[in-house]
Amino acid sequence: MTVGGVPLAAALAEYRPDAEIGPLPTPVDSDALLSTYHPDYLRGSVVTLAVGANAGGSCQRDLAELLQAEAFIDEADLAGIPVTDVDVLVVGGGGAGCAAALTAAEAGARVLLATKLRLGDSNTVMAEGGIQAAIEPEDSIQKHIQDTLRGGHHAGDPELVARMAEDGPDVLRWLIDLGMQFELTPNGDLRTRRGGGTSASRLVFCRDYTGLEMMRVLRESVTLHHNIEVWEQSPAVELLSNECGLACVGAVLASLVDGGLRIVRTRSVVLATGGLGRLHLNGFATSNHLGATGDGLVLAYRIGARLCELDSFQYHPTGLVFPSHLAGKLVTEGVRAAGALLLNGLGSRFVDELQPRDVVCAAILRECQEGRGIHIDDRRVGVWLDTPRLEQAEPGLLERQFPNLMSRTRGSGVDPRVQPLLVHPTLHYQNGGVVIDLDGASSVPGLFAVGEVAGGIHGRNRIMGNALLEIISFGRRAGRAATTTHDRGPKKVTVEHLNHMRRALTLAGLPMTRRTPMILPAYARGTPCTR
Amino acid sequence: MAADQKGDHERVPLTINGQAIDAKVGVTLVEAAWDARLPGITGVGCLEGVCGSCRVMLRRGKEITLGLACQTFVETGLEVIFLPPSSAPRHHYSISDFRDSWDIHARFHAIFPEASRCRHCHGCVTSCPKKIAVEDGVALAAAGRYREAGEVFLECVMCELCDGACPELIAPAHVGLFCRRVTAHFHLRPPNLVTRLEELRRKRLAGSKGESERE
Ligand SMILES: Cc1cc2nc3c(=O)[nH]c(=O)nc-3n(C[C@H](O)[C@H](O)[C@H](O)COP(=O)(O)OP(=O)(O)OC[C@H]3O[C@@H](n4cnc5c(N)ncnc54)[C@H](O)[C@@H]3O)c2cc1C
Ligand code: SF4
Ligand code: SF4
Ligand code: FES
Repeated sequence: MTVGGVPLAAALAEYRPDAEIGPLPTPVDSDALLSTYHPDYLRGSVVTLAVGANAGGSCQRDLAELLQAEAFIDEADLAGIPVTDVDVLVVGGGGAGCAAALTAAEAGARVLLATKLRLGDSNTVMAEGGIQAAIEPEDSIQKHIQDTLRGGHHAGDPELVARMAEDGPDVLRWLIDLGMQFELTPNGDLRTRRGGGTSASRLVFCRDYTGLEMMRVLRESVTLHHNIEVWEQSPAVELLSNECGLACVGAVLASLVDGGLRIVRTRSVVLATGGLGRLHLNGFATSNHLGATGDGLVLAYRIGARLCELDSFQYHPTGLVFPSHLAGKLVTEGVRAAGALLLNGLGSRFVDELQPRDVVCAAILRECQEGRGIHIDDRRVGVWLDTPRLEQAEPGLLERQFPNLMSRTRGSGVDPRVQPLLVHPTLHYQNGGVVIDLDGASSVPGLFAVGEVAGGIHGRNRIMGNALLEIISFGRRAGRAATTTHDRGPKKVTVEHLNHMRRALTLAGLPMTRRTPMILPAYARGTPCTR
Repeated sequence: MAADQKGDHERVPLTINGQAIDAKVGVTLVEAAWDARLPGITGVGCLEGVCGSCRVMLRRGKEITLGLACQTFVETGLEVIFLPPSSAPRHHYSISDFRDSWDIHARFHAIFPEASRCRHCHGCVTSCPKKIAVEDGVALAAAGRYREAGEVFLECVMCELCDGACPELIAPAHVGLFCRRVTAHFHLRPPNLVTRLEELRRKRLAGSKGESERE
């Protein structure tokens, strides 16, 4: 695809933070906009799954390839590898995993938290904008529920959404008790902002470091907890099942340091492996951390869990195009919430900036495709996020409220106070995932899923601030429920579920050349390849 | 941009983990290690300087500094070593044990006895990739000014490079986090949140009462 539009240098020369901007054009029908420009609707990007619990359902093509693939582990591999027994195994050391581990440990369980990279290396630590909870007098739990369902195009599960919204205020109390700070007003109230697609001011935050502040506190609490053991650099490469392959009784972990395998046997496994941005679906750049390769979806699917909304992903409207080492990285929606406008190559507004993310994203893609973008070269095109105008209206605001943005761009020659930021949609969030109940339990006994790997809450589009709420709300729910399974059963662990999957793949005539989960994107694997 | 275009021809020689490589101009140390397909670069996470994983030691001639690989660009002759994760914490406490804020000073010094022994060597400050005034933060904490001390550590990414640099084993990063945590734990009682929690509690009570009365 060749992109037309205004060359960057020319657009920069034209740009003035005080230029007159015309009125917003009358909005087009958002359904039409979405179906024409949103990447979920790209022709050929969605296929039908042939095997597994979602057979017959649709799924994004790149993800389907990973779900319907061969495993790393064979029956023979299980012999002679060291075995560890714990009450609860938590897979993934982001916010959801830590919340689940802490809650299970508080309930007296011996918990092992195994994570792929370093504890806290996660999407959670990068969250900037904030966390939603209905706490303002003019707001209500009901409004929060409605906004979430409407934002998700009514594809979300109303029960799950209601529980999450009700948990909101108590989640904040739990986090504060653990020692998390939030922004306050002069009289000591929690300061709130209004996020895109919401009817009330409901986003609480800690500068633009909300995720960092949350992760620091959770990480420290987990590390210092006497009931929790943490294994870093230890990705789960397969789950283990009982003799009939129908319940989850553990996992196989691989060491990124020496490649060695370990078996963990347990009553409950809590999958908290986060998202899949690093699959770069449809060729998009991503805002996600390095470990976001959709491993949890693959593991859960192979052991028989049902997944949902596998063809719906969130592309965040404002990913950086430049500087290049930050390509795909986010400029938080908080900047738009604070009043920054989006301008095309002609210097005009083209969308209400606080529309839901999918709508804003589709509008930006439309501008770029129709030649009204600003381009660096054939591959890199975007629109302006007008930060200098915001700074002019309220000098010092960027430094004060968005130190993270400022610190990331410092040293790269782009100063958001004087130069608008070139932005383009970036792959950001997995809307769907493992189908769960109110305890975070999947359709497979013994297997829980929480956080971004789980689905059902955000429908087909997530509104800002609900992910951080979900990970704590459901992390705690699953942590609690995971300790109540007393069924220790015969301690025979098998990979019987893999035999089921292999048979199905063979019947469907699908190739079994590729082994998954991905663990690390190919470009980060080095040679020799980490498995 | 200029750097990007030049990058196709010009190369920058440097070493990473003892391996000599030729990197493109303008890439970060992480990108350079990936491009050279170096194995074992798994101390990497966010790629934007907030997770604190990609700790590196940098040598330029005789000068040795510390930094974050995803935020450092390649330079001719630079010697880079990716550092292993830091060792397990030596200071233990559980915030849920803190019920009384009046004895917090005694508790702090019991948990971090070294904090009052800072010898002002600036080791922590020079090692901090986020340019945090770590030493001042430690001094404020030792003086019992937890809120102010915590504020100093706002941008701390928990890389724990300062911990490794401190000859007194003070663990400044954890001192900072302690200060932030007790500030929230004891002092954050926002009226809007407290009110909503109380409303929800009453509603739940009324709900369960209503149900039993109706029955
Ligand atoms: C840049 C950015 C900004 C965001 N801003 C906001 C915001 O302002 N508000 C909001 O509500 N949400 C925000 N989100 C979304 C939100 O941060 C995430 O959805 C949420 O934090 C996910 O939490 P999690 O614990 O489920 O996953 P993560 O935090 O990603 O943690 C998953 C963990 O699992 C590990 N893992 C992965 N695979 C394996 C494996 N095979 N074995 C073992 N471990 C594994 C990973 O290494 C990681 O540590 C943002 C996301 C990004 C990327
Ligand atoms: S204060 Fe210490 S842990 Fe925090 S960023 Fe600086 S060096 Fe890293
Ligand atoms: S490194 Fe340790 S002793 Fe030196 S100034 Fe910092 S806190 Fe004090
Ligand atoms: S990768 Fe997170 S700080 Fe460098």
